[in-house]
Amino acid sequence: MGVSGALARLALRHAHLLVIEVPGNWLTRVTVERLAAVRGWRLAVSPADADILAVCGSPGPELAPVVARLWEQLPGPRARIDVTRPDLAAAALDQAEAALRDTPRQRRDSIARDGRGPDDAPDGDTALAHGSEDRDGLEMDVLHVRLGPVLPDWPAGLVLRAHLHGDLIAEAQAAVVDAGHGPAGGVQVGGEPSGEVRPADAAELAAQRCDNAARLLALVGWRDMTQQARVVRDRLLAGERSAAITELARLRRRVRRSWLLHWSLRRVGPLPPDELARLGLAPELTGDVWDRLNGMLDRAALAAGGPAAVAVGTPVGVAAGVPVTPPAAVASVVSGWDLATARLIVASLDIAALGVVTDG
Amino acid sequence: MAETPVAVSGGWAPLAAGLLGTLAVAAALFDGALAGRAAGARSRMGRPVGEVARLLRQRRRTTVAADRLLWRIGGAGLLGMALMIVTVVPLGRWTLFDLAVGVVWVNALDVLAWAFVWLTGWGANSAYAMVGGYRFLAHGLAYELPLMFALVAPAVAASSLRVGEVAAAQQGLWFVVWMPVAFVVYCLGVVAMAVWGPFSPAVGRDVAGGVTAELSGVDRLLFLAGRYALLAAGAAFAVPMFLGGGSGPLLPAWAWVLVKATALLAGLVWLRRRMPALRPDLFMEVGWLVLLPAVLLQDLLVAVIVIGG
Amino acid sequence: MALVAVAVVAGCYLAHRALAIARRPLLVAPFESGWPPEEHALSRYHVRWYLVTVLFLAFDVEMLFMYPWAVVVADLGATAVVEMFVFLVGVLVAVVWAWREGALRWV
Repeated sequence: MGVSGALARLALRHAHLLVIEVPGNWLTRVTVERLAAVRGWRLAVSPADADILAVCGSPGPELAPVVARLWEQLPGPRARIDVTRPDLAAAALDQAEAALRDTPRQRRDSIARDGRGPDDAPDGDTALAHGSEDRDGLEMDVLHVRLGPVLPDWPAGLVLRAHLHGDLIAEAQAAVVDAGHGPAGGVQVGGEPSGEVRPADAAELAAQRCDNAARLLALVGWRDMTQQARVVRDRLLAGERSAAITELARLRRRVRRSWLLHWSLRRVGPLPPDELARLGLAPELTGDVWDRLNGMLDRAALAAGGPAAVAVGTPVGVAAGVPVTPPAAVASVVSGWDLATARLIVASLDIAALGVVTDG
Repeated sequence: MAETPVAVSGGWAPLAAGLLGTLAVAAALFDGALAGRAAGARSRMGRPVGEVARLLRQRRRTTVAADRLLWRIGGAGLLGMALMIVTVVPLGRWTLFDLAVGVVWVNALDVLAWAFVWLTGWGANSAYAMVGGYRFLAHGLAYELPLMFALVAPAVAASSLRVGEVAAAQQGLWFVVWMPVAFVVYCLGVVAMAVWGPFSPAVGRDVAGGVTAELSGVDRLLFLAGRYALLAAGAAFAVPMFLGGGSGPLLPAWAWVLVKATALLAGLVWLRRRMPALRPDLFMEVGWLVLLPAVLLQDLLVAVIVIGG
Repeated sequence: MALVAVAVVAGCYLAHRALAIARRPLLVAPFESGWPPEEHALSRYHVRWYLVTVLFLAFDVEMLFMYPWAVVVADLGATAVVEMFVFLVGVLVAVVWAWREGALRWV
């Protein structure tokens, strides 16, 4: 057992976790991410890449089978933790570490999985893709791929069923998982998992903008700035306001000055004010993805900096501070874009809460 | 004119592979240290060691109706490709394979990256992986031609396709000094070949890791190791092509080759975290309308200087 | 070196056999955000940059002539340079034309 024990110890210094956020458990997810980073663990991008499945919140009837399916896709050694409150995160991670360290147990688990094929897609059941005409009139296959609820840097609970021509989203339908089962009778809010609508304070509001900006920056592939945005987010949540403000200012400066980022994001997903009004999106999302990224960081600075509008320490109503995004609007704005661009556009919408109205 | 390198027996191949491996591991360590520093992690060193241990312990996966043979060929191919590239890189006075068309050899090998990365994406029978694979081809269409024309510039200047002679032709003045455009384009090509940093949309987060979305265990380890090895092999090949080969004061020639390769490799690794990715659709225009004409002008300039001088 | 490459890959697989928690690969459904896939992903994929591939092919064939040319250009002198670059300019004009036709853009 000497070799495998040593191997397990080494491996555990860099475990990868796939984090699943049940809508409304934003703070729990952020806490798990932060504590994992401190341990030197990393966020997985797919189940194949993951050792730990970290479920933040209690999944409803629609999300539970999704989680179960993902659990089966983890290669093993694997550990599943269910974190229902931010203060339980540290203990849950310890528990995951212990489970992964136990090589005999992992071997037993792995052997028990042999012979059990994937539940939902035995070989014969999955259809072959069928043809359809693309916009040039060529007949090619269409894939129906659902994006979300579990995808790196994706808004919690959102599901987009995309009709893919190659990587072009020809059309999409949106839904929210467990839409009738969310807290507060339907409208999900950032904050407490307990179910009551809790007014988010200014620091939390700012932290959430930073978190969304970090996601967009991660999708853009700019690692240093992603990290920077997460650091600001964690500082804001830890109450280290002045340090957060300084670092946020640096982040905004560097983002604004990057001509490469500007070149990459300008003219992507332009949304004029009348279109926003028609779709039920907030007016501050006017412009392209570049404008929206900067807007997001500006709003973070505004909320963190605490001018009269959003006084620090004064509770700000969720309804006032965080607009609810209708899922149908998300489906509408990504149609016609390729997958990469569509992901940037979704991330640029600065989604804090999703309405439960689904479109067909 | 310095002496051109002599070919040594194939028995030295493990040593060359070991050197490449050392470079690749050093690159991974450096990258891990940078990532650990940025994340404020407790343990900053040894990230690749932990990663290797993790992947060796992890179980392999195969997906429903996967094209398994092609999938595995793609996964292991990058590493093999990197090893084949270093066979023509002279280490000071020695080279494994003194090919008269060494430059063409490397060119032929680097195109294989298209096949290997795409196959890794295709084989998994996974939508995200496939999107990743095709993204790489889109990048390839834009970076490959500039890369090829960038390799021509040193060959023209040396009037030879033999890597050792190209290195020997740089006595006094390194090619990087008077063909900077070709050098920069070559470096971009290396970074792209290794699906690295700005050329990482094929393994992007937005498609759940792209071509790597379904890889686990040793399969993932080989693909990741292949990327580092390619980056290292690309940096090593730049030394005889642009950086004067083994020339330098004090140290022996072989040491200079390693020093230069390490320095360039460190630069490429560092670059990864510093800039956003280049979207394939946008980079297509850059590749064809900026890089290609620029590198052709560079070739013209080199040709004119060569016939004039 | 090919042997070394094979040995390295084989060595990795052997090490994995010895060290992994299970030898046989696990059969799973491909990842699709947690849903079962509706269709097999292996399909006729819309490659929306197909026009560029034609352009690439034309240039790539041209590129092959560049290597022998590189070796002899110093001996042949100005004529060889002029001939080659007149040809290259011709091909570049085609690229510019293709760009104006929108062949390099697809999103």
